[in-house]
Amino acid sequence: MDALRRNNITVSGAGERTLVFVHGFGCDQGMWRLVAPAFEARYRVVLLDLVGAGSSDLTAYDPARYHSLDAHADDLLEVLRALDLPPVALIGHSVSAIIGVLAAIREPARFAGLVMLNPSPHYLNAPGYPGGFERADIEDLLEVMANNYLGWAAGFAPVVMGAPGQPALSQELAASFCRTTPAIARHFARVIFLGDHRADLPLLRTPTLIVQSAEDAIAPPAVGRYVQQQVAGSQLVVVPTTSHCAHLSAPQATIAALAPFLAALPMPTVPQLAVPQPA
Amino acid sequence: MSEPAAFRLSEDDLLDHYEQAPCAYCSCRPDGTLVHLNGTLLGWLGYPREELVGSTTLQELLTVGGRLHYEMHARPLLLLQGEVRELSYLLRHKDGRSRPVLLHARLLRDAAGQPLAIRATFFDITERHRYEQELRRTHALAQEKSEQLARANALLITQNEQLLRSTADLDNFVYMASHDLRQPINNMAGLFAELKRSATFTDPETRSMVRMFEASLQQAVNTIEGLAEVVQQQQQQELIPVEALPLHALAEETLGSLQLQLTAQQAEFTLDFAAAPTVRTTRPGLYSLLYNLFSNALKYAEPGRPARVAVRSARVAGTVVLTVQDNGRGLDLSQHGGELFQLFRRFHPEVAEGTGTGLYLVNRLMTQAGGRVEVESEVGQGTTFRLVWPQ
Repeated sequence: MDALRRNNITVSGAGERTLVFVHGFGCDQGMWRLVAPAFEARYRVVLLDLVGAGSSDLTAYDPARYHSLDAHADDLLEVLRALDLPPVALIGHSVSAIIGVLAAIREPARFAGLVMLNPSPHYLNAPGYPGGFERADIEDLLEVMANNYLGWAAGFAPVVMGAPGQPALSQELAASFCRTTPAIARHFARVIFLGDHRADLPLLRTPTLIVQSAEDAIAPPAVGRYVQQQVAGSQLVVVPTTSHCAHLSAPQATIAALAPFLAALPMPTVPQLAVPQPA
Repeated sequence: MSEPAAFRLSEDDLLDHYEQAPCAYCSCRPDGTLVHLNGTLLGWLGYPREELVGSTTLQELLTVGGRLHYEMHARPLLLLQGEVRELSYLLRHKDGRSRPVLLHARLLRDAAGQPLAIRATFFDITERHRYEQELRRTHALAQEKSEQLARANALLITQNEQLLRSTADLDNFVYMASHDLRQPINNMAGLFAELKRSATFTDPETRSMVRMFEASLQQAVNTIEGLAEVVQQQQQQELIPVEALPLHALAEETLGSLQLQLTAQQAEFTLDFAAAPTVRTTRPGLYSLLYNLFSNALKYAEPGRPARVAVRSARVAGTVVLTVQDNGRGLDLSQHGGELFQLFRRFHPEVAEGTGTGLYLVNRLMTQAGGRVEVESEVGQGTTFRLVWPQ
C-alpha cells in the first residue's frame, strides 16, 4: 500500500503553499476540523492519520516497527516524498509535534517551518525537568485505558448519541475514535508516555513556533518553555485555554497564533500536486 | 382506616431528588471547574462543598490516569460531539480510597454556539468493576494460554512439514532403490541362467553353491518387489476412495490367490464376519492387509504343525476390529516388539522367502487409514493380529 493511502491523506484548500496537519494521540485528522478550514483560502491543506489511528491502514501497525516515534517520522517523510512538494509547514499536535521534530532533523529540506502545538518531549519527571508525571501515573493511565477498552475488546462499539443538528458529524467522529484497536492504543500510549526525546530538540534547525495552552494537564506550560529553550530561535505563543487540545477548546486563538508565523515563512508556491490524492 | 399519605411531587421533591439521587451530579464550566455538586457526590468525595466549588475541576476528582484520559479523550469528544458516555474512571475520596464510576457528560452551548457548561453524572459501579477486573484477569490468562497454544501449534506444523518431507524423501529413495536395483538383478538372473546352461561344473560342491546362489538371487528379487509394492501402495492410497467393503468376499478372494500354499501346507482358515460384515477402507489397501497377514500365517507356520488360522471381525466402540489368529511360530514381543513394524526387519531368518516389508506395509496402511495394529504373540504358540479401523 502506498504511503498516501496508508496514512489516509486528504488534500483540500485553494492555496499554492502547503500546510500539513498531524493529529495527536487518541485522535485522528478530524481533530483539525475547527482550525484547518481557516487556512484553506490561502494554503493547500494536507491532513493525515498516523498509522494505527483513524482511517489509516491498521494492518500496517507492526508493534515491532512502531516501538519508537521514528517509524511515524519515517511515515511522514514517505508521505512528503510521495506528494513531491517543496518545503512545507508542519503543524503537529502533542506527540506529532515530536514526530515533526524527528522528521525535520532527518530531512530538513522538506520543512519550511514547524508548529508544535502543546508538545512534550518527555512526560516523566527527571532531575531538573518537570515532565509532570511519575511512572505510576502512566501505569494508571494504561489501567484506565484498559478499563475503557473492555467493551471494545469484545467487539462492542460504544453507542454514541448524535449531537442535535449534526448527527452525521458525531457518528463519523465516534466511529473514528473507535477505530483504534485497544492493542494499538495501549502500545502507542506506552511508546508516547515512556519515550524521551529531549535530546532531539537541540538538533532541530527548522524555524519553529511553540503554541502552548495557558493550562495543560498533559503538557504543562513549564514543558512548553523548556521546548522553547531547547530549540534554537524558536518562538512561544501562549493560548488562553486550559485544554491539551487548544485547537478544539480555543480554535480562534489557535488560528490567530498560527497565522502570522505561517505567513512569514519563506514557502515556495506550487500550483499543482504532482501526485493525485487517493479517493 | 386512613388513606396512605399520597406521595406528592413538588419543586422541593425535585431538589431533594437532585441532592440525594442514587447517582452523583455535577455542573461545571467548559474547562471543568465545578459549579454545582449534589449531596451524593459530596458524600463520595468527602470534601465540604466550599472546598470544591470554583476551585477544583471535574477531572481533578479522578485519579491521575483518569485525568489524563479525560484530557486526551473525553474533553476533545465533548467539544466535538457534545457528549461522552460510559467512561470508566475512579473517583478519589479525601481519605485516599477510590470508587469505580461510569461518567456520562454533556456540553451545553450558548445561543452563539460557544461552550457554556458541562453537566456530568457519575454512576457507582463498584460491583461491576470488580467483576470486570475478574474478566480482564481471565481474559489475559486465556490470551496467554492461546498464545502458548499458537506457539505449540506452529512448532507442530513445522515438525509435521519436516516429517512430510522426510516421508516423501524416503518414498522417493525407496522408489529409486527398487527401480535401480531391478535392472542389474534381472541381468544377473539372466546371465546366471545362461552360465548354468553353457558352463559345465565338475566339482560336486558346485551344485550346492549354485542352489545357494539361486536362493540369494530369489531373495534379492523378492526384496525389490516388496519395495516396489510399498511405493505402489502409498501412491494408491492417496488416490483411491474409501468404501464399505465386504470382508468375507475379499478374504475368500485373498485365500484364492494363496491356494497353492494352502493345499501344500494342509492349512485351514476359518472365516467369521457375522458381527461386522463390512469395513470402510480402500479396496487395494484391504487386499494388501489380508494378503500380508494370511501369507505371514502360512509362511511362519510351526514346522510339522499345519496352520490353523481363525479370521473374524467385530464392532467395538465405534471401530471395526479384524482379528487374524494363527498357531504358528510366534515371536518374543518383549524382545522384538519395538522393531516389529520396521522396514526390512526379519524375525525368522530361517524362513527363506520373507523380505521384511509385510508388517511394515500393514502398519503403514492402518496408520494412514487413521487406525492401528495390535499384536499378541507367544513363542511356539502363535500370533494374533488385530486391525482396528475407526468407522
